[in-house]
Amino acid sequence: MKQVIIGTVGYHNLCNHSIGSVLRPELQKIDWAPGVEIDELNWGPIAIVQKFQARTAPYQRVILLAALERPGRAVGDISVFRWGGSLPDEELIQRCVGDAVTGVTSVENLLIIGEYFKIWPSETILVDVEPGPEQAGEHFTPEMQAAIPDLIRTLQYLTAADNGQLLTYEPLYGDTLIQEA
Amino acid sequence: MCFKNLPIEFDAEGNATLKEGVSNPYSYNVVDLGKNEDKLKDLLGKNGFLKNVDYDPVTRIAGALAFHSVVDLKEKKVISSNSMATLFRGYEIILKGRSPLDAAYISSRACGVCGGVHSTVSALAIEMALDIKPPPLAIVMRNILLAVEYLYDHPLHLFLLSGPDYSEQLVSETNPEIVERAKTTPANNSAAHGYKLMIDIMRDLNPLTGKLYIEALEMTRVAREAYVLIGGKYPHPQSVVPGGLSVTVNITVLNEVYQRLIKFFDYGQKVVGLWDDVFDFFLECNPDYAKVGARPATMIETGVWDHPDYYDASYKNCDTWGNARWSTPGVLIDGELVTTSLKQINVGLEEFVEHSYYEKWDGHRFKEDLEGRPLSPNHPWNKETIAKPGKQSWRDRYTWDTCPTWDRNSVEAGAYARLYITAKANKVVSRRFVNPTGHSMILNVPKHNMPAATLEWHIPKVWNAFERNRARAFCIPYSALVALDNWYMAMDYLRQGETRMSTPFTIPTKGTHIGVGFWGAGRGFLTHHLIIDDGAISNYQILTPSTLNASPHTPWGTPGPYEEAVLNTPILENVELDNPDKKFKGIDILRAIRSFDPCMPCTTHIQVADSDYMVTREVTTCACGLE
Repeated sequence: MKQVIIGTVGYHNLCNHSIGSVLRPELQKIDWAPGVEIDELNWGPIAIVQKFQARTAPYQRVILLAALERPGRAVGDISVFRWGGSLPDEELIQRCVGDAVTGVTSVENLLIIGEYFKIWPSETILVDVEPGPEQAGEHFTPEMQAAIPDLIRTLQYLTAADNGQLLTYEPLYGDTLIQEA
Repeated sequence: MCFKNLPIEFDAEGNATLKEGVSNPYSYNVVDLGKNEDKLKDLLGKNGFLKNVDYDPVTRIAGALAFHSVVDLKEKKVISSNSMATLFRGYEIILKGRSPLDAAYISSRACGVCGGVHSTVSALAIEMALDIKPPPLAIVMRNILLAVEYLYDHPLHLFLLSGPDYSEQLVSETNPEIVERAKTTPANNSAAHGYKLMIDIMRDLNPLTGKLYIEALEMTRVAREAYVLIGGKYPHPQSVVPGGLSVTVNITVLNEVYQRLIKFFDYGQKVVGLWDDVFDFFLECNPDYAKVGARPATMIETGVWDHPDYYDASYKNCDTWGNARWSTPGVLIDGELVTTSLKQINVGLEEFVEHSYYEKWDGHRFKEDLEGRPLSPNHPWNKETIAKPGKQSWRDRYTWDTCPTWDRNSVEAGAYARLYITAKANKVVSRRFVNPTGHSMILNVPKHNMPAATLEWHIPKVWNAFERNRARAFCIPYSALVALDNWYMAMDYLRQGETRMSTPFTIPTKGTHIGVGFWGAGRGFLTHHLIIDDGAISNYQILTPSTLNASPHTPWGTPGPYEEAVLNTPILENVELDNPDKKFKGIDILRAIRSFDPCMPCTTHIQVADSDYMVTREVTTCACGLE
């Protein structure tokens, strides 16, 4: 049985930008395959590193769900990236750690710090949704609402697929932060 | 008589009034900073050794701080400095019009590190405004919660943020002669930390890879675990409410907390020994390090950790309960303790915006405090936050920070002020583990894996970057021991069947109620001034430690604490004027700034008027510093 975690990342109360945190309770109601956990990975990259390090059975696949603004996408567009490692320089890693321990929550920080401390399995995947501009509130725009079924199907596929059958994905590297290579 | 500059005098009974015959008692001169700027510009044009040194952002701090200085690389001195908070914090505006019940949860978000402190100060302000006294178990558990928060905070700063400035990796780039000397210099406190040579310590201070860096990360976990047992979650606790804590505490919870707390007994001994060795070694290498970050010991502290036999939340008795705290409130002016009265601390506070991106407010609603002492129109109960973004200008406005003063003095804040003022005041009531002497602080650390030890911090003769960090190191065992003292009290309450954790209350829907919460953050002094009108918050003002420390020049032209500390800092880094490849790092300037433990990170959520558009980018943290 494969140990898989879907971890949601992002601030609350920011409309579409809060897709992970708002959707998490819904995801937890779904009947996932054995070995799949849904959890919030929003409480600080260092704390998450320590949680992963303390596990006796490491995760074999990590799927991070977040909302990120990227050029050229429409609200609700879903992208799947596979984490490719390649860290930025040490000064930037230090800054990431500094940000993390002083309260900044971001999927970029999480990926880089997790990579530095070697917690990510080879199958680390980022599923991100285009949220559009930040707004206040716990609601989604209609476009985002319409994307949710696809998003759930994507996550279901990714949790169940064998490594060789993972969805078409783009690589993502730490030394370019969140820009596609 | 604690006030030298404000026109306040006291009668024989200690009642304060405005001095008679002063026509405009709170007036002040506004100095034109432009003249100095013109001179500087002229000098920069003529003197090739003068260099603008800008840090934007200053790294390895919490949040968004930029710093501008002009350095004479030939004379190796700083000739001009400006501290800039580069983000707007909007919490004071967000809180207006809301129910006071929201304040603890919302204000907590002002900081990504010390959310629990903001929640607590908010709860204290409401307790004062509405006359709510928490039950004793809640008071001691609150003390433990916040002591544990400091146990997260101090290692983080000492080893992750400030520590690398003393590491082999960084020092070999700026002062390789020190690294060479470290290779043969024995460490004095080997028994406490296990390192034989100074170079071994400096190597383990290396960022990311050093064992001390990694260990500090691990200790933040221990502290976080203890914290969430009481607060529910970190950094924004779910359990802090006016009137106590919304958790049930039993023997199991206390034992779980204890298992984490005891790890800081050994760690506290180790950290104190380490930093004593590091700073003593650097001073041996070059005594001029005593000038890095130097400024007079002029500081302010609210005090923390309420004694349950004294705390009743009232303004009337705040001098009594303030002085019963494990950390004594007070103000030091150039090393002299001028007051330990929370009322006098409150009355002496003012906030100015002449060099900040804010509009001056009109009005002077509260001319007196709750007992008739005079209050300035610039006092936080009178201040309003009116943002006015504008062009950055060293001669005019250059920061989102305001300029808070006490009795018109630029005062600094920090965990070290907590230790310094408590040691000097010698007023602590409960002395089971913590004993101030008037000139030092004795800490009786119990046995864990290491033998029991008595640590003593002495009030230093000079005040500088090293002494800030040295005192902060002592604040680790200090905080752990206060937590332990309170832990024993909590156990006693449970044995007595005193298990109440909160006091019920209602928010009155009519009338005006005012309060102030006094409680230090990890970085020191923190106040929330609150006004409730007809059941809703009508004004809320947050004064954080970095608001004080990152302050711009006062209207009358004196620099803020960061600015002053940097101006007094000699450039001890090896500068090779004729080697363009040798980049000037400014490590001495950065050591001076970082010694304050800047914390600007208030996650800034600015709601644009008449829309639901939120700005959250480039947002940072620790409520400390931004408005």
